Amino acid sequence: MRDRDPAESMVTPGGTHRRPVRLQARGITKTYGGRRVLADVDLVVHAGEAVAVVGANGSGKSTLLKICAGLLSPDAGEVVIAGRLGYCPQEVGLFGFLVPDEHFTLFGAGWGLTRQQARRRGRRIAAQLDWDARVRTQVRHLSGGTQQKLNLTLAMLGDADILLLDEPYQGFDRGSYIDFWNQLGRWRDAGKAVVVITHMLDSLERVDRVIELSAAERGVR
Amino acid sequence: MNRLVLVAEMTGRDLWRRRAVLGLLAVVPLAFYLARRDSTGLAVRFLSLGLAWAISTAALFSSNAAKGVERRLRLGGYRAGELYLGRLSAVAAIGTVLALAYFALVVVDQELSRNGTVLLSLLLTVAVAAPLGTLISAVTPRDLEGTLVLITTIGLQFLIDPAQSYAKLLPFWSNRELATYAVDMTDAGYLWRGVTHAVCYAVVLATATAAMTLVRLRRRRHIRVVAASGSR
Repeated sequence: MRDRDPAESMVTPGGTHRRPVRLQARGITKTYGGRRVLADVDLVVHAGEAVAVVGANGSGKSTLLKICAGLLSPDAGEVVIAGRLGYCPQEVGLFGFLVPDEHFTLFGAGWGLTRQQARRRGRRIAAQLDWDARVRTQVRHLSGGTQQKLNLTLAMLGDADILLLDEPYQGFDRGSYIDFWNQLGRWRDAGKAVVVITHMLDSLERVDRVIELSAAERGVR
Repeated sequence: MNRLVLVAEMTGRDLWRRRAVLGLLAVVPLAFYLARRDSTGLAVRFLSLGLAWAISTAALFSSNAAKGVERRLRLGGYRAGELYLGRLSAVAAIGTVLALAYFALVVVDQELSRNGTVLLSLLLTVAVAAPLGTLISAVTPRDLEGTLVLITTIGLQFLIDPAQSYAKLLPFWSNRELATYAVDMTDAGYLWRGVTHAVCYAVVLATATAAMTLVRLRRRRHIRVVAASGSR
């Protein structure tokens, strides 16, 4: 794993290093079926910092995010989380026969929101992604991009301090894609720690730091 | 408690909107019943097995559909027990409605002096079938594999002679005891054996599934949550 151009990337108007650490992963190692995917990976993300994780297919990007979210156990290493965590998986994890408002209600209750609060907050976040979530359409009938917007909205519903986003823009049209990166900047400016997996190299100037994962079997580049 | 009810409500809505599947599943007990309507004892027993098949399948599909979402809900503040019990309650509620409907059919269509035992048999079938489908979902990766396990289980229930001692290992052996008590006016031993078997099976299945759910949705040891400074 390596940081690209750290001298340039770590400087933010707020001074990233003076802000509290929100996420700290230390010595993360993971092996799948005899193949080492992650080898002794460290990751530190501060409040008000956006970090992009890039790398070839199979380099362990999604695995790293799942381990940071606590969905997967590493073979070694630990993750320290300071704050509320929001996670947007690459695959859409939704109930196909429920409508968006019902998802807001269900997910919002986990964060202690009433039905009305959850619906209001979900619709507001969706609007920031240029989506009117008041539709009574079952999720299975929504387009792939719109489902992904719902997926992303649910990750934000708990007003998380740390956002782990695994290629959250899949299926977005160009306008939505630009909106997403603008919104990511606003989240960062609001003090959230954001980790986003991306293959879109043209958007890397929108983040503070880029971390490149290389296949662990080939060693650290 | 409110979150448990909410999970049950949303699971119920999700299931209810799968009307085509639910409709087909609801017809299974009817088809089995009509196939042996001429023999009251067999008709009641086959009705229970059809109900078992329908509810187990609904529980299997519902649990599989929820697997991915539940991990996110767990991250989002839900307890594993709320997710498990909420989903199980929803399936059991739908099963109870179906059981009551078919009980009404039996009362109208057959002449039985122990109607209450038929109702008890159908309700106990639901109590066993709901956690059975959930357990099969927990140990199989997808709908296809789960359905094959379910077909094998219910198929064996039809094929194995209930008088054989090893037949008691099957989850719905109690149906035969209860149907015999209800139809053939046998002694109370049949009733107690049936009830005991069904209750034991329901408790074991529900406990095993709960344990597997707790493991699947456990908090991982490598995560350490510390107090956030400068947050909120």
